[in-house]
Amino acid sequence: MKTLFRTFLGTAPILLLLAFGGAVNSHAQSAKLQLDQLDALANRASNTVDIKLDEHLIQITTKWLGKDPDEKEIKDLLTKLKGIYVKSFDFDKENEYSPAEIESVTSQLRSGGWNKIVGIISKKEGENVDVYVMQLGDQISGLAVLCVNPKELTVVNIVGPIDLDKLSQLEGSFGVPDLELVKPKTKKDKEN
Amino acid sequence: MKTKVTLTALMIALACSLPFSARANRDGFNDVVKTIEQFYHVKHQNIPFLARAGMKAARTVARVKGGELKRLAEAGSIRVAFFEDQNFDSRGQIASFKSSVQNSLGSDWSALVQTLSPKDEEQTHIFIREAGQKFHVLVIEIERRDATVVQATVRPDVLAQLLKDPGEMGKSITDEATTTDP
Repeated sequence: MKTLFRTFLGTAPILLLLAFGGAVNSHAQSAKLQLDQLDALANRASNTVDIKLDEHLIQITTKWLGKDPDEKEIKDLLTKLKGIYVKSFDFDKENEYSPAEIESVTSQLRSGGWNKIVGIISKKEGENVDVYVMQLGDQISGLAVLCVNPKELTVVNIVGPIDLDKLSQLEGSFGVPDLELVKPKTKKDKEN
Repeated sequence: MKTKVTLTALMIALACSLPFSARANRDGFNDVVKTIEQFYHVKHQNIPFLARAGMKAARTVARVKGGELKRLAEAGSIRVAFFEDQNFDSRGQIASFKSSVQNSLGSDWSALVQTLSPKDEEQTHIFIREAGQKFHVLVIEIERRDATVVQATVRPDVLAQLLKDPGEMGKSITDEATTTDP
């Protein structure tokens, strides 16, 4: 017993360091945004939509989808995802929310491994849409779409590897709003 | 001394496990009905109006997006509570009602969809939890004068189809639970 206790005491600092390091590492690499602080806006918004599809629900969906050829592509896209989270607020009047109220979201996007993509725009008129990705090596590990307009605030957070070229397939399904996101054509695309 | 230590350890273990087991046994349906009653100062009807009228509830079929005509809920699994012709006024605190509902449910329930329109006093809340091989879906629909709480058990393949359009999910389940046979 004494030997066991001594062994434990000897390894405890290492175990603690490993546990702490793991927690910090997983937090730093998580592409899931904290969005609950936006809930207070619901009292002022004319319409609020809050959708949470976690990994478990996505797994159920992918397990049972795919018989239809149209569903197969969506199934392939969903298979690796760990979550789809959407919060959307519509307001009757302009400026019913302040920039300070969305700072809690934008501050997360300024740090923690997020990068703003300049290449993707929304085809919808008057939409001010910013798209952010989190990358782990060559792979995208998360996506955030922030749509900030005087009478609307929408945050879409997709956790897990996602192919940006196929993102539009999710629009209008699984709670993802139709933002009409497109990649502008490059010179190479135009030539082809 | 040894017996005392063992007894104390047992008591601590029991005390720690009780809140968890009590939480696990919580009945989401009844908890939510109580939360609505407390927040809005309303009373639900034990016997649904449709049942009183001698009509069969929960016998309609619903079209699932992308699928064939089929029933959503497993036979006999539907529980319904109606709140008819009462005042549902959130007093500008619709967001706190949302968190009250969330808090009243155990951690085994996951919030899937919540839509709120404070001006029209319209809300829909959908929660899901596992029930063995199947799933319980809890739908709360509140309007200015009426509300409905529906709990139904669905198969995973049905849930997968419903998840494709979470916004329509509440309506499909509530329609099935409250529409009468033609």
